[in-house]
Amino acid sequence: MYVTNTTPADSFNFETTGSGSGLGLGFGHLEQIYSSKLLQALRQVRASSASSGAQTSAPKRVRDAAYRILAATAKGRSRWSRAILTNRLKLKFMKKNNIVKRERKLMTVITTGNSRMQKKSKVSVLRLKSKGLPAVQRKARVLSRLIPGCRKHPLPVVLEEATDYIAALEMQVRAMSALAELLSASGSSSSGAGQLSSSRMPPS
Amino acid sequence: MEKENLFLNEVKTSAIPYGISGMPQSNELNCSFFNPSWENSVDQSDPFESALSSMVSSPTASNANGNGSNGENVVLRELIGRLGSICNSGEISPQQPYSINGNNSANTSCYSTPLNSPPKLNLSMMENQQIRGNLQIPGSHFPSLPSLAPFSSDPGFAERAARFSVLLNKNLVGLNEMAPKLDSGKISRVSSNQSIKISGSHPMAVQESKDGGLQEAGISASDKKFSRLSRSSTPENVEFGDSRENSSVSEQIPENSESSAKRSKSEDGSANEKDAAKTKADNTNQKQSKDNSKPPEPPKDYIHVRARRGQATDAHSLAERVRREKISERMKVLQDLVPGCNKVTGKAVMLDEIINYVQSLQRQVEFLSMKLATVNPRMDFNMEALMSKDMFQSRGSLPHNMYPSDSYPFQSQPNLHTAIPSASEAPFPANNFNSALGRNQPCNCLQWTILAKLPLKSQRSGRTISIVSFRWDSARIRHKIFMGFSPQLK
Repeated sequence: MYVTNTTPADSFNFETTGSGSGLGLGFGHLEQIYSSKLLQALRQVRASSASSGAQTSAPKRVRDAAYRILAATAKGRSRWSRAILTNRLKLKFMKKNNIVKRERKLMTVITTGNSRMQKKSKVSVLRLKSKGLPAVQRKARVLSRLIPGCRKHPLPVVLEEATDYIAALEMQVRAMSALAELLSASGSSSSGAGQLSSSRMPPS
Repeated sequence: MEKENLFLNEVKTSAIPYGISGMPQSNELNCSFFNPSWENSVDQSDPFESALSSMVSSPTASNANGNGSNGENVVLRELIGRLGSICNSGEISPQQPYSINGNNSANTSCYSTPLNSPPKLNLSMMENQQIRGNLQIPGSHFPSLPSLAPFSSDPGFAERAARFSVLLNKNLVGLNEMAPKLDSGKISRVSSNQSIKISGSHPMAVQESKDGGLQEAGISASDKKFSRLSRSSTPENVEFGDSRENSSVSEQIPENSESSAKRSKSEDGSANEKDAAKTKADNTNQKQSKDNSKPPEPPKDYIHVRARRGQATDAHSLAERVRREKISERMKVLQDLVPGCNKVTGKAVMLDEIINYVQSLQRQVEFLSMKLATVNPRMDFNMEALMSKDMFQSRGSLPHNMYPSDSYPFQSQPNLHTAIPSASEAPFPANNFNSALGRNQPCNCLQWTILAKLPLKSQRSGRTISIVSFRWDSARIRHKIFMGFSPQLK
């Protein structure tokens, strides 16, 4: 492992600093850990895609890996991280669930004729209007579905998870964007240099 | 003055269970107590009241001990004067002094003085004498539960207790205009019910010592008593009761609305107190039980919530309040996290913002993952460089594994030069790349990618391909590559 200074005693709580910069000390090492793990995972994803014809597209696999690594970096101290980690195990062994869910969705779409069910973005507030009428409760439901592993928890728990989750997501976005920029920059520079070299190489 | 210190010490000890830490010195304590914004100082007033109640409750020792030093008088004067200053005593009806006078002429002066003229500290010597004894107790107050028996026998105690209770009620109520009515009513009743109180105080004290934790029940019971005793209005009672409540979620409060001025002083009360005329006894007992119950409070696993003034004291409403406070504090944290939510007030809008933000973050993650997936194929040979670069930027330390990989380009070049002298242009790209990428010192491995890409450009001559293949076929180079790659293949 390249990462030599993993701090096992990290207070997972991503929002320790709560700063927008995200490169404060509180975030820094977590972000490094995350980005290094993400790099390894990306290599694996690439290898797996090269070897086997993947069912899921590369972006989806990357996304899943990103979330899984985020949860791993969280060290399972929060509910959503544990839910993500256990979810992957479930999905691995029970892949047909996805198919069943999709069929169900399809059926609902057909029966209700509602196009909004087709939206991948999960739940809208309107959909829950028939249920808990109070606006706050509706939105609490929506939020709890957004955050993995918090569907049946009461509002205070959901809010707590939301704070951790938002901080973690921010860190993830920062790390991934930095990584993408790094890779694309290197790719672009390499392509540029390749152009340069090719132009300089005399045709033989 | 030792008496002042004694009082403050006692207040400190009583204040500790309330979580009021850091009341170190007398000056600070006084300042904190006599904060004109008494609403904020409910907690502060609690120990004050408890202290006063303790003073009130244990007259026996005071009487037995005789008179203390003059310091007590000064302290008392100060305290009472400050109490008076706290009260908006403008509303005090003129009847009060008369009623007091009717009951106890000797004591009316001290009572009326602070209430009617707050800034004046015109305590009579008699008052001082009577109060002095109470002040002597503070240190010995806590264990003095058995002393209640002799305590009840004090004839003048009722008036003193009434006076103190009224003063304390003033402190609590503050701006309440109904205070005068209450006080007048209570004083009259108190004085008339002396005997009953005294008789009832003893069993009450015993009960209270047992029922350490039944604060609310005691409060309600005493409230009932007080309502019977005085014609105080309900809202006033509510205020008194709530301000003095130290409730736990698990306990049921049968009656919240009724509270008396005196009961408001003390938080604890036994559930069994049902006597009508036990105003002062209630106070003292409650205060003592409260004092006694303070130690056992922390070990309980209930969520201890202090009901604020003017709030309901149901167990249900308490639980709801706890829940609401939890939610609100978490919303505040979220407000800081989510950008642009500073002006937003209200849970619904805030939740909307949070939902939007989480969704946007998740969309960003998806987009970035897509981007990374497209960029991925190019990463093969960039990995080491990128990793090292990343490490450099983030930690400034280069993993040792990187060194061999970094040295690849340098080592390979001589190979190129030696192995392919004819392919003179071969080094050029490398050189060019190196020069172009010279700034990316750790990223010299990039030339591997560049060279790897060369074969892709089919229009390139086979020489380049051969060069690349030569490089790749070189066992030594391959070995180095594998050395570099192997740690990554974990």
